Amino acid sequence: MVFLPPPHLASASRPAYAEAYANILVAHRRSPLTSASSVIILVAPDVDALCAAKILAELLKQDDVMHRIIPVSGLADLERMKDELVTYAELHTLILLNMGAILDLSSENWFGEFSMKLTVHIIDSNRPQNLANMFSGGENGERFIVWDDGEAENMGEERKAWEALTYEPEPDSDEDSELDDQDEVRSNEDDGPDDDEEFSERGPSGKRRSLGDGDRSQEKRRKLDDQSTRLSREQRDTYHELIAKYYGSGSWYGQSASATMYILATVLERVDCDFLWLAILGLTFQYTTARISRDTYDKYHSIYYDEVFRLNPLPPDVAANTTDAITAMSPDDLSVRAAEELRFMLFRHWTLYDAMYHSSYVAGKLGIWKERGRKRLTGLLAKMGFSIPQTQQPYAHMDLDLKHQLRAKLDSIAPEYGLVELTYPSFARCFGYRASPLSAADAVEAVGALLDVAGGIRMEVEVEGARHGGEWFGGGRLWEGGRNGEEKREKRIEVGSRQKDGDDDADTDVNGEERKERTWWVKNFWAAYDALSDIVPLRDALSLAMSLHRAIIRQGTSIIDKQDIRTMRSHRVVVLSQGPDLALFAHPGVLARLGLWLVDALRDRLPGTKIGGLKGRGKKSLPFVVACLNERTQTYVVVGIMGALDFGDVRRNEFGLAFIEAKQRCNARSRHSTFDASVLEIEQEDLKLFLETLCEVGEGY
Amino acid sequence: MTDTRQFGDLATQLIAESRRSTLTDTLLKYNDNLVRSIIREQRDLEKMTENSQNVTPAMLIYQTTIVRNKRCLLAYHKHRMDRLRDMYWTAGGALPHILSNQDIRSKLSPHEVDFLRQYSTSVMDYRAGFTNELDITASITHPPKDLHVLVHVIRDCGIIQTELGTIDFQKGQRFMVRRADIEHLIVQGYLEEV
Repeated sequence: MVFLPPPHLASASRPAYAEAYANILVAHRRSPLTSASSVIILVAPDVDALCAAKILAELLKQDDVMHRIIPVSGLADLERMKDELVTYAELHTLILLNMGAILDLSSENWFGEFSMKLTVHIIDSNRPQNLANMFSGGENGERFIVWDDGEAENMGEERKAWEALTYEPEPDSDEDSELDDQDEVRSNEDDGPDDDEEFSERGPSGKRRSLGDGDRSQEKRRKLDDQSTRLSREQRDTYHELIAKYYGSGSWYGQSASATMYILATVLERVDCDFLWLAILGLTFQYTTARISRDTYDKYHSIYYDEVFRLNPLPPDVAANTTDAITAMSPDDLSVRAAEELRFMLFRHWTLYDAMYHSSYVAGKLGIWKERGRKRLTGLLAKMGFSIPQTQQPYAHMDLDLKHQLRAKLDSIAPEYGLVELTYPSFARCFGYRASPLSAADAVEAVGALLDVAGGIRMEVEVEGARHGGEWFGGGRLWEGGRNGEEKREKRIEVGSRQKDGDDDADTDVNGEERKERTWWVKNFWAAYDALSDIVPLRDALSLAMSLHRAIIRQGTSIIDKQDIRTMRSHRVVVLSQGPDLALFAHPGVLARLGLWLVDALRDRLPGTKIGGLKGRGKKSLPFVVACLNERTQTYVVVGIMGALDFGDVRRNEFGLAFIEAKQRCNARSRHSTFDASVLEIEQEDLKLFLETLCEVGEGY
Repeated sequence: MTDTRQFGDLATQLIAESRRSTLTDTLLKYNDNLVRSIIREQRDLEKMTENSQNVTPAMLIYQTTIVRNKRCLLAYHKHRMDRLRDMYWTAGGALPHILSNQDIRSKLSPHEVDFLRQYSTSVMDYRAGFTNELDITASITHPPKDLHVLVHVIRDCGIIQTELGTIDFQKGQRFMVRRADIEHLIVQGYLEEV
């Protein structure tokens, strides 16, 4: 397994992205007779992976490479997929997007047994990555290529440690044939418990030679060899610690997969506005879900800012950063513009009052869940000169001069209420006359909502103008997600598929429920994938995102009102076991959003707890564990979130490791259903025990 | 209860059925009973005209009715034949696909099935003459823009052998494949173009 340096670090001897891509093309073209299913892309279900997949698929399509896109939801799914893929003899390229960095892919469990001509490319923003993936070489190793973002340059220490430990496993070298089992057993016993159980992929422990002399001769030999050729015990310990520190410090995120794909497209000189927009969406997704810090975001933002101006030159009489700059110039205007984004949730599509009410930042500062907080909000709006009817108007119908003044007024008055960092630089895209310009954050919200809840749950969305007893006296209508495809197919001739809901009929077998859920998830995936390139479903999904947010706020405020947050020694726990939206929160994605909202809302009100690292280097943070009951399967979905004390900062999420350890200690029946180790599904009865064990684990830090 | 009817009433019913079929754009079941009763009516009328030699007004009426019945029968059958022919061409000449579809098969009479078979044979013979220049059963409504097409799997069609290797189509996945290889699957509704 090698890692690819990004193009700016590449040289003749170190191939970078472009060469890897060229190799894919070459392999595809070289075997025309078997090229039909030779490239397979496995995609994880998050917005960043979706964007990356879209960019990659477009690049491959332009190169006439026949490929196949398969959505994969979690580790179990990946295993099943792997078992299927073993049977494909023609497969020569496998691309994993946002999955697999932590797994040792060359072991037999995963792809070690595939044929030699298979190349696996791993483009993953999850960190930490498995060091075996990055550094092991050899013929087996060359098959796995990790597309790196430049971080690997800084991992020289870990590399040295890993190589030392792997290639000089025991106090004996390979050439010495008179090794002894006992020696190896002894050193393996020492080495074993040091590693984290999940990451113990040190193959060399299997190197056993069965020849052995008597004890005495080994002792003598060991003393002789003790001098210089072996690592000393202290050195080995330091290396072990280094590696354990790398794996044990929690999980964080590196460069987004869509950024990697965008860099590839840049190197191939094939970027256009669509790719840029997708890369921006990937970055914004990472920022709004608190995966990267504000500094990292700014760094990437400046790169994209230059790109935007390179690809979308504004006409000379329009200055940037005015509201004029982001109106569409013509019906075919699809350009991306830079704009400042307010931290209000979807504010261009809601009323101003609603947007501020539903934003987690404002909620935290003003205390929206209490009546007093809401009064403060109306007070703030009144101070800015917005009358109440105006703030209840959907943004699009607000007075123009108010819209122009909004930014200025906010900057001047909001600091009085403690709202300081209200804007951040971001981008917006025009869609001609078909829709008003959509900002990146809104698009990410819409796609995320589609991914989570486009189907499978009854969601009520509000019809615009129906509030306060609008025209048709209806509060809302039912969201109809993936039904559009059904109508198109019905127009087809009778010869074709006359199975309107035939898909569902096929699913009512023994595993009816589970297959139905999988089918819904896949449908959501493709609905979100299609919405990335088509504005009409994206626009419709905005109302879905709004009702999703409303549900989150409802639940969040009721949690805070009822003081439902239990404080354990090192973290806080919220358990949801009843409520109107229980089925909605049984989805890990939605639950994670709720957790993030709680963290943002309570940031200033709760003292941070000190979570010590391995050596007691403590940084204060706000760890939250949110659990929700899934009534249908009688399990609890548990999500662990590590919030930072400062807005815009991120902490490494240590809950993944904590969950695994707690799970093993108390033998709870549980499984990880997604690629994120901090999301767990656990049986109902085991929850209490699990939470208690989690506290014990937390103390160990 | 006698069943009093006008002459040609049954034939009008048959035409009404044809019209309904056109308006709803579906193929209805072959109305065997109605056709048979019309033919019976024809025979009765014919018997009545056989005997006399003079041309009476009654005779004229019988004659008109007979001619009208004949015309209606022919129109009905021609209408159905046209629909079947259209169906055949929309399916891209995949006759087994049409015939194995129980939905459709149950609506055809045996004669119509024979008609389809013979029609298909004729088309195949004709097509075989120049199949390397032009494939007349390929779709012409949307000219292909690209060599490859991105498809979405609606129904499982299993493993398909193409000249570029085997492809295993599974539900819920997307494939980019050569258009020529899977055109027939799109037409038959297993795949959907994205």
